[in-house]
Amino acid sequence: MILRRFFILFGLFLFSFSCVFASDHTSGNDIGHLMTTLVLQLAIIVIAARIFGLIFSRYLKQPRVLGELVAGMVIGPYALGAFSIPILNQPLFPKIDAVLPISPELYGLAVVASIVLLFLAGLETDLPTFLKFSGIGSLVGLGGVVLSFFLGDMVAVLLLPGVDSFMSPTALFLGTLSTATSVGITARILSEKRKLSSPEGVTILAGAVLDDVIGIIILAIVVGITKISHSGGQVEWGKIAFIAIKAFGFWLILTILGILFAKKISKGLKWLRSNDAMAGVALGIALFLSGLAEMAGLAMIIGAYVVGLSLSQTDMADELRERLYGVYQFLVPVFFCVMGMMVDFSLLGSIFIFGLIYTACAIVGKIVGCGIPAFLAGFNIKGALRIGAGMLPRGEVTLIVASIGLSSGAIGQDMFGVAIMTLLIASIIAPPLLIKSFDGGNGLRNQKLAREDEIGCRIQLNFPSVHISDFIRMRILQAFNNEDFFVHRLNLNSQIYHIKKEDVFVTLIQKNRGIELTTDIDNKPLIKLIVAEEILELKDLLEGVKDLDSPDGMCEDLVYGIFSEDKK
Amino acid sequence: MKKILKKLLTEDTVFPDMTANTKEGIIVELIERLAANRKLKNKRAALKAVMARENKMSTGMENGIAIPHGKSDEITELVAAIGRTSHGVDFNSMDKKPSRIFIMTLSPQSHSGPHLQFLAEVSKLLKDTETREKLLNANSSRDILDILL
Repeated sequence: MILRRFFILFGLFLFSFSCVFASDHTSGNDIGHLMTTLVLQLAIIVIAARIFGLIFSRYLKQPRVLGELVAGMVIGPYALGAFSIPILNQPLFPKIDAVLPISPELYGLAVVASIVLLFLAGLETDLPTFLKFSGIGSLVGLGGVVLSFFLGDMVAVLLLPGVDSFMSPTALFLGTLSTATSVGITARILSEKRKLSSPEGVTILAGAVLDDVIGIIILAIVVGITKISHSGGQVEWGKIAFIAIKAFGFWLILTILGILFAKKISKGLKWLRSNDAMAGVALGIALFLSGLAEMAGLAMIIGAYVVGLSLSQTDMADELRERLYGVYQFLVPVFFCVMGMMVDFSLLGSIFIFGLIYTACAIVGKIVGCGIPAFLAGFNIKGALRIGAGMLPRGEVTLIVASIGLSSGAIGQDMFGVAIMTLLIASIIAPPLLIKSFDGGNGLRNQKLAREDEIGCRIQLNFPSVHISDFIRMRILQAFNNEDFFVHRLNLNSQIYHIKKEDVFVTLIQKNRGIELTTDIDNKPLIKLIVAEEILELKDLLEGVKDLDSPDGMCEDLVYGIFSEDKK
Repeated sequence: MKKILKKLLTEDTVFPDMTANTKEGIIVELIERLAANRKLKNKRAALKAVMARENKMSTGMENGIAIPHGKSDEITELVAAIGRTSHGVDFNSMDKKPSRIFIMTLSPQSHSGPHLQFLAEVSKLLKDTETREKLLNANSSRDILDILL
């Protein structure tokens, strides 16, 4: 029923837009025509991405991004978008006969979206957690990257005709595609199961940071090798080493500079005294460094990621994320939808079996590659499986790598389809596997690891009603705000807040009548003082209610006459 | 975080020779001394705010420490003070022991600034018995500042 309504609406939109488009089409104004096409395409993309995203998240209980990808496949140049619309006299998404099947304008928009995405991914990075668990996290991340890269590259060499070397750009891209983890889905599931701060949870998060960094550096190296290969040059080990050093050096220098100057940058941004201006300038810096990275022969997303990573350590990180949420909400569905549009269905049949084998290797690469180091580091089989499953989902980085591979000619439409197939399958099977794996007991052989997790302090409070709990929660958040903390609500569906100021970090969770605050043991006195003061305010409020003369009479006065004639 | 202490505490706001013998006397004396050192303009509003907070619940803590504090719209900026007596004063403290160290903050009602963070930072330092002893035996404001900063 809902799908039928959607397609009727979709048809009506196409019809009305095509009328407008037809009138402009005759005007002969090239740039106007180009922009009109872009705007109409965007309109359809935004609407379709939203509706498919909603259907996937609400009815199919799948991540929204999968719906957005599928939306792109449905409306793209290889499906509905290819049909010529009568009044338009051409398809809305005509297949462009170039390396990419979509227009440069749309691809440009997707590139900007990928920069925003990676900037925000950098901003979300929990560097202290990563550093705290960096030992095991590094091993887990590295294990997953190495094994999945090797398997992805090997499958290409063994099964793809024309690919005869591990160093062939196609094999390298398929190896790189296999490495990237998108921990967003895992983080959401672990957060819902309240396992985000478990030894498995923090190891996954730390592993994912390393995974991102290594994945992005590998991408830079692979892009460099591909460029040499395509310009007819001989790919030599010396040149590869040079590219690797350049990529790693660029990342390392920028990251060190970023972290060293993060406080100064943050101070400079705060000088603007406007949170919106602060976010705008920060995004500008990310775009600028993305351009610099590209000029240095690396992938743009490295620059964006490094700026995000550097600013993630400042107290304004959550504020920036919140301010850029609107840009993210608009651009990211467009990005996933545009990526979906590049899937050529006609090629999927011929590479379906290869795609399945490749996907299986990508899954095995992560579960075994991350699981073995986790097992060796003190987790039991259950814990190792949890960590492997948590590292399974693929997302934006896979798509960005695939689109870079496609635009550089290193991979064709068929392998792009394989990337999307892997992303869809891995992201669909990961959540149930992860949820199931967390059933049952402890995931540790080595109990020393568990104690590392108990360094923090937790204050739990229970109130007689949700209203009182709401009141106290609002008061506590206001009190933190008054103390110059940045307060950030994680999402609109739950009462989870991150509260930050310089090196103080507090998490507040309200669940029905209960409020829980967690922080480092060092900050315990502050939390206790703030909560105590606000409970005293509640006492004041209750005293005040007692002083209310006649609440019943006040209510009667207010509602009297609403069902009778106004006699003035 | 020590920079909050550095920002708010100076020799003008540390009083090692308090003389009052009662809870209200200590609060009045701290406010009077802050005003005398031009750290506070509206003494009446400050006293009213601190006493209002004391009436809700005493701020006498443990181990001879009390943290009288208050918020008022008539206070324009966050002010902190530390007082010390050579004798114990009944501050209706949680452990029923007399108090000798008094940490006060006065802040605007609407945008208080880090007044509780200041108190929390001081509490972290004074949790340590040795630091408390040093503070009780310090000879001057400067010595107290050297112990805390």
